[in-house]
Amino acid sequence: MGKSMGSEPLGKLYGGKKAKKRREWRGLRDTWYDYVHWLGIWGTLIAFMLHPSNLKAFFRYRWMVHYLAVPDFFDRHTEGMRGTQLRVARVALELVVRDMCKSMAIMFRADPELGNDKKLNEKLVVFDENMMSQIMNGFPNLKWVCVEVPSVYTCAMMAQDGVLYYLDKAQEYGIPSDVCPMPAAELGVALEGDFPKIGKCAVQCNTTCDGSIMGNSVMASRMNLPTFQLAVPIRHGEESVQQYAAEEILNAIAFIEKQTGEAFDWNAFFETMKRFNKETEYLLEWYDISRTPYPQVTGNSLSLYRYAVYMAAGGRVKDFLTTDEKLTRLAMKGYEKKELMAKEVRHRAITWGVQSAYYTAFGIWLQNCWGIVPLVDMLTLCSTRMINTEDKDKAVYDLAYLYEKMIMRSRSNGGYEVGVADLWRFCESFHVDMVIMYAHMGCKSMSGYHGLFEEEARAHGIHLVWATHGLMDARGASRKDMRTEVNRYMRTVLREEPLDPSLEDFDDELAW
Amino acid sequence: MKDLVHIYELEKLLQDSCNDAVRQAKAQGQYAIGSVCAMIPEPLLNLDNCFSVRLRAPRTGSMEMGTYYMTSIMCECARALLERAIEGGYGYLDCIIAPDACAQMNRCVENIDKLGLIDKENFFVTYSDVPMKSDETALRHYVRQMRQYVLEPLNRNLGVDVSDEALRRAVEKQNQVNRLVMEIGEYRKEANPRITGYEFAVLCLSTFVCPKEYILPILEETLDELKRREPDKKNPCRARVVMVGSEIDDPDLIRLTEEAGALVAADCYCLGSFPERLEIQLADGEDVLTGICRHYMEKGQCPRFMNTEKIRERHEYVDALAREFHADGIIYQQIKFCDYWGYERAYAGEVMREQYGYPVLSVDRPYVAGGSGQLRTRVQAFVESIEIKKLNRKDK
Repeated sequence: MGKSMGSEPLGKLYGGKKAKKRREWRGLRDTWYDYVHWLGIWGTLIAFMLHPSNLKAFFRYRWMVHYLAVPDFFDRHTEGMRGTQLRVARVALELVVRDMCKSMAIMFRADPELGNDKKLNEKLVVFDENMMSQIMNGFPNLKWVCVEVPSVYTCAMMAQDGVLYYLDKAQEYGIPSDVCPMPAAELGVALEGDFPKIGKCAVQCNTTCDGSIMGNSVMASRMNLPTFQLAVPIRHGEESVQQYAAEEILNAIAFIEKQTGEAFDWNAFFETMKRFNKETEYLLEWYDISRTPYPQVTGNSLSLYRYAVYMAAGGRVKDFLTTDEKLTRLAMKGYEKKELMAKEVRHRAITWGVQSAYYTAFGIWLQNCWGIVPLVDMLTLCSTRMINTEDKDKAVYDLAYLYEKMIMRSRSNGGYEVGVADLWRFCESFHVDMVIMYAHMGCKSMSGYHGLFEEEARAHGIHLVWATHGLMDARGASRKDMRTEVNRYMRTVLREEPLDPSLEDFDDELAW
Repeated sequence: MKDLVHIYELEKLLQDSCNDAVRQAKAQGQYAIGSVCAMIPEPLLNLDNCFSVRLRAPRTGSMEMGTYYMTSIMCECARALLERAIEGGYGYLDCIIAPDACAQMNRCVENIDKLGLIDKENFFVTYSDVPMKSDETALRHYVRQMRQYVLEPLNRNLGVDVSDEALRRAVEKQNQVNRLVMEIGEYRKEANPRITGYEFAVLCLSTFVCPKEYILPILEETLDELKRREPDKKNPCRARVVMVGSEIDDPDLIRLTEEAGALVAADCYCLGSFPERLEIQLADGEDVLTGICRHYMEKGQCPRFMNTEKIRERHEYVDALAREFHADGIIYQQIKFCDYWGYERAYAGEVMREQYGYPVLSVDRPYVAGGSGQLRTRVQAFVESIEIKKLNRKDK
């Protein structure tokens, strides 16, 4: 127990209950930093709950209760961390929480059952969870909201049983249990009437998968809003589809203009996209650092933060750029001090496939238990192309390209080149020797490559370790099951001993 | 009823993907074009000296290898096709023209492609992006894709004539088949039909897996025969249903349904007659490729069409079929693990039951379903429930 990484057996903190036995001791300096920030998160939550609409939401929406686990979420996602790594995680993820709070506050203020702010409601455009928000950058007088993110997506991350109730409801309705739990849970929320009934109009899209498309059709019938379905080409790697992609973006813009009476403001769009481009530049700097022996912004700190920047904030929220600058400063400092991500870095890894929502901290366990550092993940490896901020015609094409490269679908759609072949290119570029392959049981897109992954990994000399999970439903493959698959590979194939033996087998079945 | 003259021959033909009709055409130097989805307009695959064959895996037993490559959560149809390809069952194909329509079928074709399972010289595979909405923007995209990923590769690799005249000829050939199938299908409207749903399914399916020249005379003779055919005095079926859902490439499923007491009066599934055997009507003054694509986009009823109008249209379409063919109920079926039909089955089941008032049976099934006792029981129970409803109505 001390200030050095790996000085405490972390598995011993788990006592088989919801919360851990006690907080982790990271040495005086890091413990103080962590504790102050932990209190800060409570402060953010309490401030959020002091608003009457937000407080009412806790009683109106069953999924709200899971946000009581936010402080625990931070503990899970900073486990074993010290120094720069701890600060990067805290800085990145805390902004995501603050941004989420703001977004939820807007929804609840407009919600007829809570705040009932009709004027605000007229300004809200509801986007599908899988739909990138950047189109809204051209509508500065309107507000982008996504009701599925707080009710399903982040809920499942806060608590491992966060959406089970809604999954059951979808299955009672008749949805087969083999489909992806994400759209199924979203449908369950819709069937239960547990989405805030807000918005002037809605835009859905065909990302990320076949199941998601179909879930949308039922949801649209429940939402009772004028809805536009944006069809983003599936074969997004092909030049031949770009014209259609661009035309569809213009169709979506025209729909929003018609429904809201607002005109698309190109100047506002260009201004925000400049910020977005700058954010992409910072990301590329972090990637460069990750290619060295001393990566600094990796794993969840990278992925969860990047999802928020890429999909939700989209250049509109200035705080993200400020935080990017801060993170880059921290990363450079850590790099110069040659700080490692684990007590001993044994394997540099990429995580591929769709990560488990109920075990987003899996990557941190990989680091602490086996010294496997997940540098970057499939969902983060999307578009880094700069958006033109001067020429409208080119900007539409760039925007369309960005939408085609939405998180996840940029790899799960588009065929072998982006789903399989790109993986080996990234392995080479990031100098990794291991791929942690998430096998999401409901994801047909990636499962269809199972055999090809196996064969090609062997040909490339990459260790391919499967981690099977149920995305948002831990009943079929628990967190422990995921760890067991890695443990077996590390023990039997690589014949390695864990860095922290207490993490090899512990009970977190009931944990948040 | 007496057996139809050609039924045995067609049943035999459906026992193999590389059937006698295919072998005969190949021997004459024609090109076999493998197809996996209705989103590639059939006439484009039957141009000049080409004939399309919809990939099937009749008599499938084990899918072990297909499952290894694609895991056990994938659509059994996709796995069965991959298994058959691994077994060498598609070695006769000159190319596969596939859309990236459903992810699972796309993965099946990609596996066939990347594993080099068809090692024929000059064999090629193309993938195209096909519309998910039905509007003019999508149509323009569809046309561009079909030109780039169907017509140009066929012309470049096989020297196929892809001129407008050739397209018109292919449409006419297709329409001859379509008209005959539809005319035969009309007999299912009779109170005591002179053709069973099973026989019709055999005839209809054969048109997807044989060269058109081969099947045309058979259809003509069958239609002629039907004009004189006498149905049994007593109709063995106790209820009439519309069969809706995912691909049925095995008529045994229809036979099972009819043996359980439900006449399949109309079919609205992939490889059925609605909407795939509707006559293609080309508008005057419109480019012929655009006209073909328009037909497939506007008439298509696949659940991957995601715009609200099309979603409503699917339900209206089934309702119209049910009324036209005097159906008592609707069976929504899907091959297990199909995401599209998994959702559509649940949603449409609710809509047809609640908004249109039809009794609905909603089932998922294995790829090889003809011998499924569980399915038979479900259909029997459904038929009984329809009968009870009828009795209750009479009592009132």
